[in-house]
Amino acid sequence: MEYKQEYKIKLVSKEFLNSDTCYLGFECPGIANTAKPGQFVNISAGTQFLKRPFGIASTDKDNGIFYIGVKVVGKGTREISDFETGALFDCLGPLGNGFVFGDYENIILTGGGTGVFPINFAYECLTSQGKTVEVCEGFRDARQVILNKPGYVLTTDAGDIGIKGTVIAGLDTIDIADTSKTLVCCVGPIPMMKAVAAWAEAKGMKCFVSMEQRMGCGVGICLCCTVKVKDDGPDGFKNVRCCKEGPVFDSREVVW
Amino acid sequence: MSTSLNVNVGKVSLKSPLILASGTCNFGRELAEYYDLSILGGISSKGLTIKPRAGNPGVRVAECASGMLNSVGLQNPGVDYFIENDLDFMKASGAAVIVNVAGHSFEDYIAMIEKLDPHKDKIDALEINLSCPNVKAGCMTIGSDPEAIKAITSKLRSLTDLPLWIKLTPNVTDIKATALAAQEGGADAVVLINTLMGMRIDIRTRRPVLTNNTGGYSGPAVKPVAIRMVAECAQVLDIPIVGCGGVADYKDVIEFMIAGASAVEIGTACLVHPAAPVMITDCLENYCEENKLNLKDLTGTLQRW
Repeated sequence: MEYKQEYKIKLVSKEFLNSDTCYLGFECPGIANTAKPGQFVNISAGTQFLKRPFGIASTDKDNGIFYIGVKVVGKGTREISDFETGALFDCLGPLGNGFVFGDYENIILTGGGTGVFPINFAYECLTSQGKTVEVCEGFRDARQVILNKPGYVLTTDAGDIGIKGTVIAGLDTIDIADTSKTLVCCVGPIPMMKAVAAWAEAKGMKCFVSMEQRMGCGVGICLCCTVKVKDDGPDGFKNVRCCKEGPVFDSREVVW
Repeated sequence: MSTSLNVNVGKVSLKSPLILASGTCNFGRELAEYYDLSILGGISSKGLTIKPRAGNPGVRVAECASGMLNSVGLQNPGVDYFIENDLDFMKASGAAVIVNVAGHSFEDYIAMIEKLDPHKDKIDALEINLSCPNVKAGCMTIGSDPEAIKAITSKLRSLTDLPLWIKLTPNVTDIKATALAAQEGGADAVVLINTLMGMRIDIRTRRPVLTNNTGGYSGPAVKPVAIRMVAECAQVLDIPIVGCGGVADYKDVIEFMIAGASAVEIGTACLVHPAAPVMITDCLENYCEENKLNLKDLTGTLQRW
């Protein structure tokens, strides 16, 4: 039996996308060659005790490199983004369950904040498979906009670039030929995912959301990162592990 | 595997002193993806209750200096589900099966033993959790009172022949008093220690980081507390001690054994490095070979100043 392993990975590229968000490339063929969109890695964070989880943003299989986006929100993300290329990290991955695109002909990818990183990976994989993909990304204002590509629908709360409003305003501009053949995938803050799920469900479309919760281990043993999902039992819900049963869930399963 | 790692906790023989600590390994399945569990001395199950528990809501984990706080709140599928779905897996792992038993009242613990005792052919020991800090009743409430510890241990003793390991809380003034109470109640061993109660606060919101407000502190930071408690109890107990708290490398295992532990549990380290027990086991074998000793001979060899 082949066991999963903890990798020692090297930081090989680092680029700041804006004042507090950087895009990091790590050498690790084991992850680059097997990762699926929606999966994540758990990476050591300098002096911090626990690793930190990041959705995989892209892979370069030829060179055995995978990419993540890191927005500085606390000590762990600060320490990770302070390292220079050549630094070594401990890393577990790829972890969790990614998006299941199945036979859907049209895929709508939508997200905001650091959710645009896994959306980017999904976009790269789907376009390489020749699927029809629409992308709608939402940010607070123009300064927060990252990884925005030509053809994407862009929304900002401030309205200083793109459509003014939330991603819902952007999604409403997308022409959907057949909702039964269209899948929606959303990665972003909880209010955004909840709104997108309601939007998709109202149109009869299946919607995947990628949940986020404070994680301990990332491998399913500490039971810290729970997500509430619907259940037939007396409580009407049960707690499942974001890292193991998720992070991607069918939006209809989630208790928001 | 080298026999130099063999140890005994009372009548329970273990091929290695290393046991996966309850609440940090679920029932072993997830870690079996990383290594062969049969290298372990034992696996202590997730803390089980008579009915399934959803655990605490909200944020359950907080980073701390050299460790973490958790407030999982004994999320578990219930003892019936465990017997039906997880016990056979644990038995087949090749590691000793330690079943961690939690409750909210004497009656809960008694009902748990009555459920588990018929499966004693698959169980090597019962670890009675009198120490979880994250539930409102039972556990640590009982585990802080020597009289209650003695009474519950004695009652459970009358219900089963399975080895009873009493897992105690460090959140007491005198750990010797609670450990002695377990011994007087008929325990086969004590497990020292569960987590230390702690709190972290988000200074922007002035709210605790954990939605449960408080949680249990674990990791390398708590090791000196655990070592001190093991060493103190080793001076007064006749029954064996299973050390637990902050084990992260093979030297920690040796330190616990010198302090007086017959076996050692590892927990939080596995959350960071799932395969930590593999490296520790290799190092322990090398240590025994280099020093030409058997690990069990280290127990209680502390030379005090």
